[in-house]
Amino acid sequence: MTFFNTEISWFLDVYILLILGYAILIMSSYLMLAYISTKELRKYLKRNSFVDYEVLLTSEFAPKLSLIAPAYNEGLTIEENVKSLLSLNYNNYQVIVVNDGSKDNSMEILTKTYDLVLTDLDFHPQIETKKIRGIYTSRNAAFKKLIVVDKENGGKADALNVGLNIAQNPYVVCIDVDCILDKDSLLKLAKPFLESYGKRIIATGGVVRIANQCIIKNGRLVEVNVPDVMLSRIQVLEYLRAFLLGRMAWGKLDGLLLISGAFGAFDKEIAILSGGYSTKTVGEDMELIVRMRRYMLDNKLPYSVSYIPDPLCWTEAPEDFKIFKKQRSRWMRGTIETLSIHRRMFLNPKYKLLGMLSVPYWTLFEFLAPAIEFIGLVITAIFIIFGLLNWHFFFLLLFFVYSFAVLFSVIALYSEEKTYHKYPKQADFFKLLMAAFIEPFYFHPLTVYAALIGYKEKIMGTKGWGEMTRKGFTKKE
Amino acid sequence: MTEFWELYKNGQWEVPFLTFSIYLFVAASFILYLIIVGSRNSKIKKERLSKEYSTTIDKIMSAVIFENVPFSEIKEDKNFLVLFDTSFFREVLTESLINLHKNYEGIYAQKLEQFYKDSGLIKSSFRKLKSLKWEVKCKGITELAEFNIKEAFDQIIGYSKARKKTLKIVALNAAIKLEGTESIKYLVDHSDPIDDWMQLNIIGAFKKHDIGDTVGIEHLLESQNTTVVTLGLKLIKELKLSQKVPHVAQLASQTTNVIIKYEAQSILQTLTA
Repeated sequence: MTFFNTEISWFLDVYILLILGYAILIMSSYLMLAYISTKELRKYLKRNSFVDYEVLLTSEFAPKLSLIAPAYNEGLTIEENVKSLLSLNYNNYQVIVVNDGSKDNSMEILTKTYDLVLTDLDFHPQIETKKIRGIYTSRNAAFKKLIVVDKENGGKADALNVGLNIAQNPYVVCIDVDCILDKDSLLKLAKPFLESYGKRIIATGGVVRIANQCIIKNGRLVEVNVPDVMLSRIQVLEYLRAFLLGRMAWGKLDGLLLISGAFGAFDKEIAILSGGYSTKTVGEDMELIVRMRRYMLDNKLPYSVSYIPDPLCWTEAPEDFKIFKKQRSRWMRGTIETLSIHRRMFLNPKYKLLGMLSVPYWTLFEFLAPAIEFIGLVITAIFIIFGLLNWHFFFLLLFFVYSFAVLFSVIALYSEEKTYHKYPKQADFFKLLMAAFIEPFYFHPLTVYAALIGYKEKIMGTKGWGEMTRKGFTKKE
Repeated sequence: MTEFWELYKNGQWEVPFLTFSIYLFVAASFILYLIIVGSRNSKIKKERLSKEYSTTIDKIMSAVIFENVPFSEIKEDKNFLVLFDTSFFREVLTESLINLHKNYEGIYAQKLEQFYKDSGLIKSSFRKLKSLKWEVKCKGITELAEFNIKEAFDQIIGYSKARKKTLKIVALNAAIKLEGTESIKYLVDHSDPIDDWMQLNIIGAFKKHDIGDTVGIEHLLESQNTTVVTLGLKLIKELKLSQKVPHVAQLASQTTNVIIKYEAQSILQTLTA
């Protein structure tokens, strides 16, 4: 019996040490990234206050961009969304809308609104895709930048690959057609391609923010609001934490593994040489960046991925749990698939910072975190059942994690306050502050649950995105 | 410290560690909250002050531009002097002055320049050039260039060799605005690579400030720095300087650099087409 007690006591000690060790590791890494991000953000804003983006508008030497917007059943909003894409502040660009076999009337709307006619565009496909039914351009000179591709349904990655094949410019900007872009977003996204000397910028990405309950007029965001619905409100906070405190630091370290699929620019040549978007994963945005980086490292080509902390793109976040769960489980599947495809990079010094830090970080803190949390919960439940739980220690540990989560959200709010100050209304600030207190109890368990569903779907071999319905933005007439 | 070590040695460190961390996190959150509230309040106050100052400044500027009221007369107003003593008022005044100067030309612009000199704002711009912070230097350079203070050229062009890229770009833009192609000779000897973004800014400055006299641009083609040569070619192309064709032709025939040769030939084709 004494031996048994000693064994249990030893197991408890090890378990507590492991839990604490993991928590301390994750917390210190978050704080470290937040410190780097905040410092870098301030530097960026100082630099940016002297940047004259107009030089890009007026020069023929500005990078030439091709915007690729895949569309599937977007009939309700496609007319306005394409109009807003055509009226961005930039000169050297074309818009390629890829209708990915929509079942609704998207194609009819586009044809009628933009006076489209079939065209014989000369292009040499370098990436294999589903069959193209037709390529259309407008008879109206006002829409000369627009190309519409009608193709068989093949998913987002396939539609983006069609865009890569057709794009006539050296840089491609992949966007979600329903995103609201800042009018200067292309100027900001294009600038890093001009800035490097001696190394190639293969991709640039900007910050994505939540647009729920924001006011949209003529495809432009005119008023920023914090959503009343708690699920989307907490996502505002979550995006602030991720983009302002996380990705900025990874950008500085040049270890960014993800450029958001909602809005990112790529060097077309490298994207094609790396094989284009993978149709085998639902995390095609992350997978492409990792593959492009891997291609550059394998071929010993100097390169960098640039990150712009300005809020360039506004998107709609899920407001009900069913859609949220689908989105997050898909993100988890995408992460698992990307890390699995590129498992050779894990702790491989050949891949430098990427192999030694970025990939292990994502594996430990993004991929494995929900599993570790779940195992922790199960063990805790067992302890409770067998009366082994030290309740004092349990609550102490719980409050330790909770107080850190609140602190980290407050740091994100502080960073936002000191930089972009996009939520000037007092009521909005207090809504976000309240969200910081609720998030660990309400939102975090949901994300863990959705991630576990993601694991399950991966094990069961689920493929594809599933239907993602959107509510639409609030419009100002 | 010894206490902590003792706790650790006895295996009793977890509870004190967690308690201390919780206190730390709660205190840090509360302090950050206070900073955020303070920052928001100060922003609101600044916005209010800025609006108030703008109303006063608009009246003063209107008198200066349309009623020929000199600064000596404005400073007789005691209220103005009190305001003028505060740095935030001077900041708002300088910004307003710059915005107005951008919108006016001729005699009105000259009146604003005179006001800038008489009010002593020019001195604070020169002081900014001596600041240790590069962003303050940039501000000073921008102000001096906006009001065409040619005496600042020598100091400003010195910063075109600064390590900080933004300062370099701001200085070059200002130098081009102040002395046009005079600044070119400083570029010819530039040893650091000039990336595409800097090149675009320099070309933009030439276009924006409508530098009519382009004598000397061809010297860029003689630089040992290939990025400077590329800049020269781009400038010739963008400004459509067909009078520089012989220099481009000479470069195309003599250079051993394949990329430069290709660029020169392409520009020759464009300009002679």
